[in-house]
Amino acid sequence: MKILLMGHPNVGKSVFFNRLTGAKVFESNYPGTTVDFMRGWMRLEGEDVELIDVPGAFSLEPKDKAEEVAVKMLEENRDSVVVCVLDASKVERGLYLALEIIERGYPVIVALNMWDVAEDKNIRIDVEKLERILGVPVVPTTAISGEGFKELVSKIKEAAPVKIEKIIENAGGGESAAVSG
Amino acid sequence: MPLSVDERWDLIEKISKQTVEFGAYKHTLKDAIAELTVKPLTGIPVAIAVLYGFWSFFIDFAGTLFTDGFMVRLFDEHWLPWLQSVFPGGLGNPFYALMVDAGHWENGVLVASDNCFEAFGVLTSGFFVPFGVVLWAVLAFYLVFAILEDIGYLPRLAVLVDTVLHKIGLHGYAIVPTFLALGCNIPGVTATRPLETRKQRFMMITLLSVFVPCGAQIGIMQDLVPELMGWIFLTLAIGYLGFGFILNKIVPGRSPEIIMDVPPYRMPTLRNIGRKLWIRTSRFLLVAVPFVLLGCLIVGLMYLTGAMDWLATVLGPFLMGLFGVPGETVSPLIAGFLRKDLAVGVLGGLMERGIMTTFQVFTSVVLLCIYFPCLATFALMLKEESWKEFIGSIASLVVMVLVYGGLIHLVGIMLGVA
Repeated sequence: MKILLMGHPNVGKSVFFNRLTGAKVFESNYPGTTVDFMRGWMRLEGEDVELIDVPGAFSLEPKDKAEEVAVKMLEENRDSVVVCVLDASKVERGLYLALEIIERGYPVIVALNMWDVAEDKNIRIDVEKLERILGVPVVPTTAISGEGFKELVSKIKEAAPVKIEKIIENAGGGESAAVSG
Repeated sequence: MPLSVDERWDLIEKISKQTVEFGAYKHTLKDAIAELTVKPLTGIPVAIAVLYGFWSFFIDFAGTLFTDGFMVRLFDEHWLPWLQSVFPGGLGNPFYALMVDAGHWENGVLVASDNCFEAFGVLTSGFFVPFGVVLWAVLAFYLVFAILEDIGYLPRLAVLVDTVLHKIGLHGYAIVPTFLALGCNIPGVTATRPLETRKQRFMMITLLSVFVPCGAQIGIMQDLVPELMGWIFLTLAIGYLGFGFILNKIVPGRSPEIIMDVPPYRMPTLRNIGRKLWIRTSRFLLVAVPFVLLGCLIVGLMYLTGAMDWLATVLGPFLMGLFGVPGETVSPLIAGFLRKDLAVGVLGGLMERGIMTTFQVFTSVVLLCIYFPCLATFALMLKEESWKEFIGSIASLVVMVLVYGGLIHLVGIMLGVA
């Protein structure tokens, strides 16, 4: 089993990678810090698992060289679990990539990173409901301080492929839960 | 079953309606600072202040404090005299010349060097250049750079320079590879990957490798010719923008808008700054030191065998005629194939002998910046570009060097300084 870290540019994938593997990958606060993939090893329930830090991508229809690398990594590692890192303050945008990966049949676990930023911006996310609709584990994280990592790691094994039809069914008619933006 | 783009967005809309709630947005101090740094009226003064602070720190910390205050004395007053006194062979011995001091002829007498720029031995200049000068420049550069990176200032700078760079077919994002290249051209070239079209990448890689001097080179230039730095940067900036404008007109392809996220400001963590500083500095030492030592040896051997003098005589008329620099400039140009910092160091040795006018020094320093990317960058360009693009880059490079170098000479003649 391999684990791929995927998500938009500048959502903190490299911080995840460094935290999970203890490796030394560059982390910066601007999009496009990682332009090539990085491999590392992490311990998961007693066994060594390979973790790959994939360059940031907005979608699986590549528009630049870094995104090409991302799509290639995904295709070359069919047996992977994908940790999809989302910016919790921009959930919709991140979900697009997450859905694309789910549609391709990969087991996905969603990390709602930059949870602290979302809180600052007064954005509230119903994590349990999101988990129910998507049918995959969803974990709020703040990678810089390390919050949520224990839960994330413990849930990696729960990730399983989900049929997109199931998600559409779960989402239903979309009755409004709150004031939407 | 894959969804269409619209179906996917519909689904996302449904999901987010049920799970995400946007509360009232409070304007925070962070937002106020964020706005001040991107609005042109306040942002441009802030950018100037930031860059000025960056440069001052670079000069004071690396140049004045470490290099001049400590390293120059250590190398020139202790290391060099000590080696001259204990190393077997003595002045005139070929091995001694290669390792410690080649000396130079003054009125028919071979005279020992009194500083590490002039001596040009593997153990003297070969150590002085990386450890005496460049290491401190690289450290100072990467320290400030890492802080700017982690705060999230670079994307704001990108927004500010976006309009100017659009005129030459580049996007504001180009500031990120350019800035990185000021540390070392290698990460600068890899950072062009998020650019969308081949045209943009080609232009960026070509402009970077020609007009952006690396930190090592800047550090040693600052040590050697601090009074010319303003002119050198101005000349390089004009070249960058001017040739960017021309490339944009003649290179086929498009330069579409790139939409870049401006991330929120963040407090940098000491851990991350320290780690980046360590990785980048140790990478520099690993790559630079062997090349500098090797370069020293090659240049030394070429002097000893007379190959350098031969080249200086053969290429002299060409260099003098086109660029207005003496034939001796051949030696720094040769060193520059391996390392730019070493090349400027070799030039420093020539300057110490007083065979060049200020304008010739200026022209030579600019030529060293633009004539060839260092070997490591060259190899990376080969990897990053297709063959066609690579040949294009090299061809543009040759044209730019000949045209721009000649132009500088011409301006010098017109101003009466060349």
